Amino acid sequence: MAMRKAGQSSPLRQGWDALTRQIGDALDNRKIAGRPIRWYLTGWRGGVLALLVAALYPFIASFSPDNAQTLISTGIAVGIYVLLALGLNIVVGYAGLLDLGYVAFFVLGAYTIAVGTGGIMKDAAGKVIQIPQFNLWILLIVGALIAGIFGVLLGAPTLRLRGDYLAIVTLGFGEIVPIVFNNIPFFYGAFGLTAVPPAPIETPIGVIDFGSFTDHTAFYFLVLALIVLVVLFVVLLRDSSLGRAWIAIREDETAAAASGVNLVRTKLLAFGLGATMGGLGGVLQGSYLSHVDPGSFNFNISISILAMIVLGGIGSLPGVILGAIVFRFFDVYLLGVINDWISGTFLVASPTAPLHFLYNLPNQAQFLITGVVLLLMIVLRPQGLIPNVRRQRELKGEGVSAEALSVVGALEAEEISEVAVVGLGAEDATEYAGPGSDARGREE
Amino acid sequence: MHVLAAQGTGLFIQQIENGIVLGAIYALVALGYTLVYGIIELINFAHGDVFMWGTMVTLTVTQAFHIGDGQVVGGFALVGLLILFIVLSMAFCAGLNVVIERFAYRPLRTAPRLAPLIAAIGVSFILENIAELWRGANSISYPLQFPIITLSLGPFSIGLLEILIILFSIGLMYALTRFIQGTKLGRAMRATAQDPEAAALMGVNINQTIALTFLIGGALAGAAGVAYTLEIRQVAFNTGFELGLIAFTAAVLGGIGNVTGAVLGGFAIGLVQALTIQYFPGGNGIEWIDVTVFAILVLILVFRPSGLLGQQIPNKA
Amino acid sequence: MATDDILLQLSGVTRIFGGLTAVDSVDLDVQRGQIVSVIGPNGAGKTTVFNVITGLYKPSSGRVIFEGRSIGGLAPDSVLRRGIARTFQNIRLFNNMSVLENVLVGQHITYPGDLFSLTFRLPNYQRAVKAANQRAIELLSFFGSKLVDMKDEYAANLSYADRRRVEIARALGSSPKLLLLDEPTAGMNDAETAEAVTYIQRLRREFNLSVLLIEHKLQVTMGISDHIAVLDYGKKIAEGTPAEVQHDERVIEAYLGRKTTVVE
Repeated sequence: MAMRKAGQSSPLRQGWDALTRQIGDALDNRKIAGRPIRWYLTGWRGGVLALLVAALYPFIASFSPDNAQTLISTGIAVGIYVLLALGLNIVVGYAGLLDLGYVAFFVLGAYTIAVGTGGIMKDAAGKVIQIPQFNLWILLIVGALIAGIFGVLLGAPTLRLRGDYLAIVTLGFGEIVPIVFNNIPFFYGAFGLTAVPPAPIETPIGVIDFGSFTDHTAFYFLVLALIVLVVLFVVLLRDSSLGRAWIAIREDETAAAASGVNLVRTKLLAFGLGATMGGLGGVLQGSYLSHVDPGSFNFNISISILAMIVLGGIGSLPGVILGAIVFRFFDVYLLGVINDWISGTFLVASPTAPLHFLYNLPNQAQFLITGVVLLLMIVLRPQGLIPNVRRQRELKGEGVSAEALSVVGALEAEEISEVAVVGLGAEDATEYAGPGSDARGREE
Repeated sequence: MHVLAAQGTGLFIQQIENGIVLGAIYALVALGYTLVYGIIELINFAHGDVFMWGTMVTLTVTQAFHIGDGQVVGGFALVGLLILFIVLSMAFCAGLNVVIERFAYRPLRTAPRLAPLIAAIGVSFILENIAELWRGANSISYPLQFPIITLSLGPFSIGLLEILIILFSIGLMYALTRFIQGTKLGRAMRATAQDPEAAALMGVNINQTIALTFLIGGALAGAAGVAYTLEIRQVAFNTGFELGLIAFTAAVLGGIGNVTGAVLGGFAIGLVQALTIQYFPGGNGIEWIDVTVFAILVLILVFRPSGLLGQQIPNKA
Repeated sequence: MATDDILLQLSGVTRIFGGLTAVDSVDLDVQRGQIVSVIGPNGAGKTTVFNVITGLYKPSSGRVIFEGRSIGGLAPDSVLRRGIARTFQNIRLFNNMSVLENVLVGQHITYPGDLFSLTFRLPNYQRAVKAANQRAIELLSFFGSKLVDMKDEYAANLSYADRRRVEIARALGSSPKLLLLDEPTAGMNDAETAEAVTYIQRLRREFNLSVLLIEHKLQVTMGISDHIAVLDYGKKIAEGTPAEVQHDERVIEAYLGRKTTVVE
């Protein structure tokens, strides 16, 4: 990764820039029904398109040579993490608070459903006690609420802390919550609990079984529906006075407070709202996997979600969704495929093969890959795959020229996050051009 | 850790000693955090994992000599081995730290604070997982048995290894202090920590100075790695995580950026840990170490973020 | 002087940092409708006084009273709600927001804060949005049409003088009764300075507010102030009308002794 002077690009870079420019031009110039293709991919239209694809996914999956149910399962796993990414994006992407302990809310959600449907826990002496049982629907709300409350509780000590310290403290909380669940008697400690699958629902068009072990399609659509709701909610937040307050405190807390933004409330709202989505995801995960134990929740998950956001684009709604999809799909499905393929080749397969140490290695390298992606992205392309324009400016100092930001009316327009095929839309440089947000000060 | 007394005051004194030994190790690692923070205001998340690699190096070198499990080595062979461990581990960790700074942090020096933090997390992950893939997920028992020679003075008994560790750590800390106070490079480090622009104007090569800081921090972590391996005799890919958190808390306790503070903090946390393991209600002390240390961290950050020895810095408007 | 004419009252305000007493027992009154200037050599503690008033620092001792109620120790956003807005010495705009968005943030307190109204875009929220946008344009147009035309430009791309103006427009968003301006003409040439003087006076008239001003340029302070307080080493060493202060020996000594701007 040699450092080059501005203006001198490697041939690789030039080739890449040329390619992305061509795609960008095509998006802008080729038209369907009088509008450039890019128009269809931006804003809510892009969202509708994505939703369409997602809704058709189980149908498409039934054509694949693989077991369709495997793919739908993958879709569910991906979808849950999309929810998590959306939540963490509020905290990290919008409010600019680096929360490294996000897994705590995931855990809380999962335990909510396990305890809530399972109907049993232990008392302080370790004796089993019966408690009332509830169904999935109520627990979705309860789980989200509990997570939200803890989001506020765990965020409160961090309010006066600077970025690094905030990160460490949140990391600590993220560690502690699973430890607590592991070591206190109430929730069966390391054994964990099992959630009862939701009961089938009778409807005029037939029985819908969200808890089916053989057909996950219903559960997939449940996840999808929740994602749609959450996305709508996030858009409403982002384009509101609260969203603007988040940007303000991210840029300059002091000026924000001097302008009337209540720092405590604004930050706690970010923590709390972000946490509710983690809790929601946790409830879904617990319901889907049935078994919930502390061992499956750890720091790795918090970082994976962070990596998804960084990959996709910090602070960019389509970005983090894409990042979650790509990352999770890779982890849950693609990695396995790659692993089997590599492990099957003659260079690796037999114990005497020269590259035998690679046997089954890719499967175990999941978190190594996470770390590599995180590092490469933040150094090489910190704005992510689908950049949020404002964030891109922040991360790269002086960035693109002002794009029209139309800020009128009740639903203020998105601050430009076009679906940008990787590399489009801005000058890329492997070095940072200048200081974060005060780019004006530089002479050159 | 050896328990030479079973109960009462004897046990308490024993735990104090354990605490001091641990504290010496933590102090070395805490120094690495504090030096780096002092100079570029970054919490190097990956520092604990550099330490962990120090333990891996020690383990690997030991295994290269085919030292059997529980084998006791003494005399000149031991001395030679110790020197070898220390040199190799310190050199490896120093180099590793410099490489990390060069490729993960330096490109982000002008970026908003979020970026190098994330980079550090990425590096930490990479270091841990490479170690896990190489050595497996389980804790490895360290084969070499340092000869158990106990020295007694009244009610106090302490092993030779522990004394050596404490002396070695203190020696390194002293050398570090002399270096920072007395040499040109040390002055450059202090100047850069105080005011990088002014330092640059005075002719200090900032890049080199920062690289040097990372070098020293890495070396200290490497030294701590050797000590840890010999004393605890368990090596695992995730020791860096816990120890990093502990050492960081120590650095913050003492006042991040303050060298003396890091040392004092290290010893303080070491004592707290030893006492927690032994005396935590319910007897499950080990499980709750992380929580206790972390609780201390949060308390400090909320009530006295500048630490014990740090300055109260006014909020700049 | 009736007491309800006194808008802001500082009583023995002191602020200590570690070993340094930045502000030492300062008394200062600002009456309704006044323009009061705080002057003094560099490092005299003027900005610290501002920071204490606006809640960035708690006073180590002494009282800050605004409209008869104590505001010492309130958080900055609460101080704003009480009616005191400020600008900063080194212009702190939100660089990656547009001009319009900056001014909208200044009106943050006019929006309903509860999540419910916000999320469901209830009528009260929509009204607030509309009103805030309208007012933002009004505030920007106080400086002419230029800023209005540039409302969608990133704040970072504006000229220095324009950034100052936007910062003031942002501060006006909450309809403050008292405006604190920290060196509003810093970095400006004579023409720009004269223009700034004019708009500060217009601000008082058109927005019916009082102004507390930190200023280094004596021709500015002498020209527009009703009252001047002089700080040196954190203490108030003189105060009075411009004429009185101009000829005060202690003031002359404080400035000459530091080799800063000489009183004409």
